[in-house]
Amino acid sequence: MDNINIGLELMAVGMATVFLILIIVIQLGKLLISMVNKFAPEEAVAPKKTAAVAQPAATVDAGTMAVLAEAVKQITGGKGKISKVTKL
Amino acid sequence: MEMIYDILDKLFQMTALSAIAENPLFIVMYLLAFTLLYLGIVKKYEPLLLVPIAFGVLIANFPGGGMGVLQANSDGLVPVMENGQTVMKNIYEMPLHQIAHDLGLMNYLYYALIKSGLLPPIIFMGVGALTDFGPMLRNLKLAIFGAAAQMGIFAVLMVSLLVGFTPQEAGSLGIIGGADGPTAIFTTIKLAPHLLGPIAIAAYSYMALVPVIIPLVVKLLCSEKELRINMKQMDKLYPDTLEIKNMRVLKIIFPIAVTTIVAIFVPTAVSLVGMLMFGNLVKEIGNDTNRLFDAASNGIMNAATIFLGLCVGATMTVDAFINFQTLGIVAGGFCAFALSIASGIFMVKIWNLFAKKKINPLIGATGLSAVPMASRVCNGISTKYDPKNHVLNYCMASNISGVIGSAVAAGVLISFLG
Repeated sequence: MDNINIGLELMAVGMATVFLILIIVIQLGKLLISMVNKFAPEEAVAPKKTAAVAQPAATVDAGTMAVLAEAVKQITGGKGKISKVTKL
Repeated sequence: MEMIYDILDKLFQMTALSAIAENPLFIVMYLLAFTLLYLGIVKKYEPLLLVPIAFGVLIANFPGGGMGVLQANSDGLVPVMENGQTVMKNIYEMPLHQIAHDLGLMNYLYYALIKSGLLPPIIFMGVGALTDFGPMLRNLKLAIFGAAAQMGIFAVLMVSLLVGFTPQEAGSLGIIGGADGPTAIFTTIKLAPHLLGPIAIAAYSYMALVPVIIPLVVKLLCSEKELRINMKQMDKLYPDTLEIKNMRVLKIIFPIAVTTIVAIFVPTAVSLVGMLMFGNLVKEIGNDTNRLFDAASNGIMNAATIFLGLCVGATMTVDAFINFQTLGIVAGGFCAFALSIASGIFMVKIWNLFAKKKINPLIGATGLSAVPMASRVCNGISTKYDPKNHVLNYCMASNISGVIGSAVAAGVLISFLG
């Protein structure tokens, strides 16, 4: 009988504690989200923008490409090829 | 002729054969070790743990090898050979080098690394370093189902008490339902160290069987309509008001804040939760602590896993393993597991009765820990009914909170029964 009492007591205290702690963790999470949103919003966006700017430089129209290919062909005697064109 | 017979007899006595012939139960242990090795190597059931555990079982059960772990009795006494005689000595008063000398290497490792409670928190640090709290922070409400799924622990504790286990043994048996290996081991070391072997085996075996147990319980308790509940559609219908603007900073502050809060309310859970959160913190800080993260998640974690596995396996000697209690642990552990899954599902069902925003019951089923396998299995179940219904991220929320929940439950058990 004593053991059953211990079991019931542990079940009540244990489940109450687990629920209490996780409810606290959830509320704490919400509090932290609102605090971070208020005091340190969107810090990680800056590096993405700089990365995005660097990308679109590699487009060259077909006419310019043909001229460049012909020039390389002349200079290297047909051995050289253009693999990539980037603006400096 | 007699001399040859004498030499052969001495040879027979020198090998392990004489003791094995005297007690054939050793063969049962070899068969168990081979079966576990087969499951780990061929069937790939948690090989990182099952292989060291199985090998530990094997090397611990060769008579004369001295690799089996001796469990101290309730007074802390163990039999030690001194000048050809067996004397009882208090192992907690013996210095470690003497344990190594008198009782062998495995006892040294066991009492230094396991019985001291060192390795489970170290492994928790590694688990923390490999855990991403992002899905939980994005779906904070779902974390509550990680609490409901701890019910199996206490239900099995209750039944074990009725069957005749002591409260300490019942607590250790129940914690298998937390579906968290290090937590189960940590609790058992503190409450009932003589049951460590079978409890660790049961915990890890059932974790390996999560892909079988969860679908079984889900099939019994959930309708197809419930399993088709699409969480993304529910999010669109009832969007959350809280939007996270800076996840990186949030993820750094979260482990610090949770440790502080848990430490205040359940100090006995700090060794587990604190180390879990520390591991997570060094991961989230990023480049500045990358070397610590690397050590926690690779080198230290792997070394700890080897020693934990071998030592836990070595506790399973013939005397400690082949008895009625082991059968009770295997059966009770399964019930703890199934009940934990079921209570998570029932909590979702009750929630759905009152809430407009319905929740897929699979999210309750993953509240029992076993990260991330439980979530993957549940995602597999949901996509079987509707290929577009991916619940993985939602399941991870309750799955990760289940780790915190089972560590807190362990803390409660240790502070009441320890």
